[in-house]
Amino acid sequence: MIDTIRTLSTIAGVSGSEDAVRDAILREIEDYADCRVDRLGNIIAFKKGAKTPKNKLMLAAHMDEVGLMITGIEENGMLRFTTVGGVDTRVILGRRVLIGQKGARGVVGAKAVHLQTSEEREIVPKTDSLLIDIGVSDSEEAAKHVSLGDTAVFDSAFTEFGDQMIKGRALDDRAGCAILISLLRSPLDYDAYFAFNVQEEVGLKGAKASAYEIDPDVAIVVEATTAADIADVPPGKQVCVLGEGPVVSFMDRSTIYDKELYQLAFEAAKRRGVKCQPKRGVYGGNEAGAIHLSRSGVRTIAVSLPCRYLHSPSCVLKKTDITDAARLISELIGQAAEM
Amino acid sequence: MDLIQLLTELTAADGVAGDENGAADLVMCELSKYGKTYKTRLGSVVCELAPAKEGGEHLLLDAHIDEIGFVVTGITDSGFLRVAACGGVDRRLLPAQEVTVHGKKPVYGVICSTPPHLESAESAAKVPKIEDIAIDIGYTKEQAERLVSLGDTVSIRQPAALLPGGQITAKALDDRAGVAALLLCAQRLSRETLSCGLTILCSTQEEVGARGAKTAAFAVAPTQGIAVDVSFAYTPDSPRAKCGELGKGPMIGISPTVSRSIFSRLKSLAETHTIPYQVEVMGGETGTNADMIQGVRAGVPMGLVSIPQRYMHTPVEVVSLEDVENTAQLLCEYAKTLGGGRA
Repeated sequence: MIDTIRTLSTIAGVSGSEDAVRDAILREIEDYADCRVDRLGNIIAFKKGAKTPKNKLMLAAHMDEVGLMITGIEENGMLRFTTVGGVDTRVILGRRVLIGQKGARGVVGAKAVHLQTSEEREIVPKTDSLLIDIGVSDSEEAAKHVSLGDTAVFDSAFTEFGDQMIKGRALDDRAGCAILISLLRSPLDYDAYFAFNVQEEVGLKGAKASAYEIDPDVAIVVEATTAADIADVPPGKQVCVLGEGPVVSFMDRSTIYDKELYQLAFEAAKRRGVKCQPKRGVYGGNEAGAIHLSRSGVRTIAVSLPCRYLHSPSCVLKKTDITDAARLISELIGQAAEM
Repeated sequence: MDLIQLLTELTAADGVAGDENGAADLVMCELSKYGKTYKTRLGSVVCELAPAKEGGEHLLLDAHIDEIGFVVTGITDSGFLRVAACGGVDRRLLPAQEVTVHGKKPVYGVICSTPPHLESAESAAKVPKIEDIAIDIGYTKEQAERLVSLGDTVSIRQPAALLPGGQITAKALDDRAGVAALLLCAQRLSRETLSCGLTILCSTQEEVGARGAKTAAFAVAPTQGIAVDVSFAYTPDSPRAKCGELGKGPMIGISPTVSRSIFSRLKSLAETHTIPYQVEVMGGETGTNADMIQGVRAGVPMGLVSIPQRYMHTPVEVVSLEDVENTAQLLCEYAKTLGGGRA
């Protein structure tokens, strides 16, 4: 599973430009399920299990990632850009980016600290004041390498470090995609639909369509969620902790989760002997926000991987949380099918 | 010597001020091909390319080998590292950057970035103080303590790469670009018979106050010197008057503390050999090793040649390969003609 995450995290797939990620996922799963790609670009995969469930099941993860989009080329060849999805303003400066399908390399630079006033040194520059430099001297030359509307990702390698930690770009939610892939490639107790969705980061666009199409009774969203278990954050504000297992939410900004599924998730963890933690706080949101409101409503739960530095070039996950999540979900499928 | 490969290797080596051995050993290995090479007590690398003659000119070419970074000052109960800055770190761009901690072995780390949901709009726009910076190495305190000790240095990770425009981008091009120019220069001059004495210095601890250059220059006792550093290349957010342009050639510095005769000779050599150059004017001290070497022993007249660089002191420093090449050529011409040598 870690190898799959490594592969997927190196592919650029900013919201609306998920093609390469979709192709890679299709290659991984097409021998194991009936796959099709819907009109928005979601993959909907159906896998036959040993039994037909009482409740029609949908598992969802999103293929897209946050990133940048080129909005202008200055006369001097510098590129203007906007953010796609919730990129933290504080992690853009001083980064290398890869632009468009050809991956033209650029840098988001800042004038030397020596040239900054003492006030400038203490304020995070606004994103719309930043430029991408690809080392060309005019707009004509720039246009040979980039076009308006090209998306860009941070140039960030996949790395293993520390005690079972991995770091990479787009682990939100390629790690979730990898868990779905691993479930698809093993025998299932129950029939299930798997949705690999587009455009989560810009308003759950893909999930809305695939949930309508699949029309499930029960949905399990597999995500990455922000972990604030870092220096100087008191335990009460940490939301979740790496190494304490997958995170199950009772509520976030877009969903109040199904109470029975919430209980079943903890029971499933116990039965499998894996760790599991509640999301301690009402923050953020995920595809559940669109899925649970689909058609006449869908009973929905989210199982998330605690992720440090979410939406930055350096997402950090713990491997044990990923394997625990996969085990928990495979157990939960059985419970959700028959509840 | 392939310049891209040279810059890639030089910037891949680590050498935060006070802990330059990684980079210094690499340079030592290169320079020892060209002359007697040794390290000073403060870690600077000195190569005697051509011996000084009694009463003759003895030129010192200097570039600094150190880079900005951090030093570990503490390990928190949950295993995060506290740091202090070594040199002029831009704190605005630190969150979520990748680093190497130079512990018992190199340890990978990510600089902590507080999740936006814990920040108000006001606090999110504020830049963290250095004492609020923490490094995540993915270990518990007990695990961390086995690998990392107080005083270990921390360098930014950013391997070199080329931009579509042909320039190179990496961390620590300040001043490995200058070091690269000196290595090119040493290689070429090693085939020449020079009329002057020539010593190459790759000095430590520039980023914390030119301490390596001060002590090494004393040991070398040159009659004149040229400091080779990087200087500001214009970007739209920079003050135009303080900047040169990327790709327009070495910036030949002049200031009250820089020797006018060395400045004039550099300019006229650039013109004679049609090497593109730019003049950089400063009103006082230059903020480079030139200031410090000038005051060594009974005084050393200094020149200053700077490679234009965008985004100095960031992980995405950019220099033009042509500027590095032209800097090397200019320095070669200077050394060849010093002490009566023919151009």
